[in-house]
Amino acid sequence: MTDWLSFAVETYDLTKRYGNFTALDKLNIKVESGQIRVLLGPNGSGKTTFLHLIATVLRPTEGTAKVLGYDIIKQQLKVRQLVSIAFQDPRGFWRHKPRHILSFHASMYGLKEPDKSAIVERTLKEFELWESRDKKFMDLSGGQAKRLEVAKLFVSYPQLALLDEPTAMVDLDGKRLMWDKIKELRERGSTVIVATNEVREAEYLADKITIFASGKDVVTDTLSNLKDSVKGGDIVDLEFAEPTNLFVMETIKSVPGTVGIIEIDPRHLRVSVSRSEDWLPITLKLLQGIKLQSVHITEPSLDDVFMTIVKPSKGAG
Amino acid sequence: MNTYQVSSLLRFDLREAFNSPLWIGYSWIYFLFQFFVYGSIMSTLVITVHDYFFYYGTGLVVLSTFNIASWSGRRFVESAHEGRLRYILSLPIGRDEFFIEQLVLGVIVNLVRTLPPVLIVLFMSGLFSLANFLFTLLVLTLLAIGIMGLMVSLSVIAFKSFDIYSAIVAALSALLIRFSTISYPISSMNEIYAKATLSNPIAYGADLLRRAIGLDTSLLLSPSLSASVLVALAVGTLFLGIFFTGRFVEGVRSS
Repeated sequence: MTDWLSFAVETYDLTKRYGNFTALDKLNIKVESGQIRVLLGPNGSGKTTFLHLIATVLRPTEGTAKVLGYDIIKQQLKVRQLVSIAFQDPRGFWRHKPRHILSFHASMYGLKEPDKSAIVERTLKEFELWESRDKKFMDLSGGQAKRLEVAKLFVSYPQLALLDEPTAMVDLDGKRLMWDKIKELRERGSTVIVATNEVREAEYLADKITIFASGKDVVTDTLSNLKDSVKGGDIVDLEFAEPTNLFVMETIKSVPGTVGIIEIDPRHLRVSVSRSEDWLPITLKLLQGIKLQSVHITEPSLDDVFMTIVKPSKGAG
Repeated sequence: MNTYQVSSLLRFDLREAFNSPLWIGYSWIYFLFQFFVYGSIMSTLVITVHDYFFYYGTGLVVLSTFNIASWSGRRFVESAHEGRLRYILSLPIGRDEFFIEQLVLGVIVNLVRTLPPVLIVLFMSGLFSLANFLFTLLVLTLLAIGIMGLMVSLSVIAFKSFDIYSAIVAALSALLIRFSTISYPISSMNEIYAKATLSNPIAYGADLLRRAIGLDTSLLLSPSLSASVLVALAVGTLFLGIFFTGRFVEGVRSS
């Protein structure tokens, strides 16, 4: 039933309130099957609540969602059979050992011996936890505990994998390992949703990004479209063979997409533009008679996108 | 019922519950100390009750069951605040199955903790038999299910306010223990105390257990009434617990 679905997740006015506080406010988003969707947003923006609702850990106050075709209120058990979540802060297993935690997790998803032990051993080795397999959970470092939390998904290979800040507390080498493993989930056919406030993580992983703020999704798009959406976000440095004149300045100002011009020196102009790929051919055509030495384009970072989108919405909220 | 998943969860929880065998041994030693030392002293003071030493001993077993069953309820709440509950709630297991697993866990922990005390009391009273032993286990199991069901149902309050939950559980525990026949028979209570005790299911559980060690039946509540109350408590709180777990229990607030 779930193989041919275009969307792994569809929400319908999904809302979660705690008393007077609204953690998630009438959320309507769709997540395409087989993709990595990154939820980006500041702390308290509703990302974790969204993941917990999708995993049926929390119940919505209003609205609902379909996960792989199943309703999160009426068909909770079906949802849980297909979804697995790596929580933000792994806790609650203080006296258990990593080997037992993964083995238990595998059992809950129906794995039996001898496959179970083989998968657990392989996963512990892949996540560099083999040496610590018999340590108590409370004796693991923060990074090891986090790797163990994510490793759970690799014994069950769920159709929908949810990860909440999977690389928080993890060192740089560990981050790269985790990111590659998350991509592996997608290669093996899982849909993956990653909540993070780490922009670099989003850039590395996302097929599409949804930016959350104040319990709402502000925007969903691909990384390149999001970058293009920043007005004047592309910076084009034009270096001319000779000092520029008023004609050059006026010509550049007249090109659609020009947001601002700064004269760095008489031969060097820095122009803020929207969608440099559209802007540059027009500009070059209009400046045909003017000799250019170099053109350098800098795209906005996802940080710029994030701040551009989140800051005004925070102010409004 | 996902038997494989439920039994896996049970094994996982048992591994944690019996992670520190030292504490179990300690609880047995504590029982022995209370039974032999304090029980002996008390039995010389309470002369109106024949065989008060054994009356006190069975009361201690019931008190242990009450404490262990209450612990199971508190553990449920603590697991929510520790972050363990949300993980369990994300696993492919029904809420009702989870609740039943918690009850079975509590019953097993209770039996392991109270088995040696029960055997000691039965042997010392000279009334050990397989039938008496099994009857005792059955009574303790029903009592444990009843108390755990009640405590887990009350845990719903803790999802709103842990302080209110703690206050209610502390007050309820005190009332259930004080207004009961755990320490004294109903015949030696004044009228108000006795009326309150008659509305307490723990009193019926304690007195039913005492029949297994052949204590003076004139001191005890009616066996048929006691059995009915105990079964009603276990079944009632079982359904109440399933209802509350299914409807209201969820992972604690997240950002």
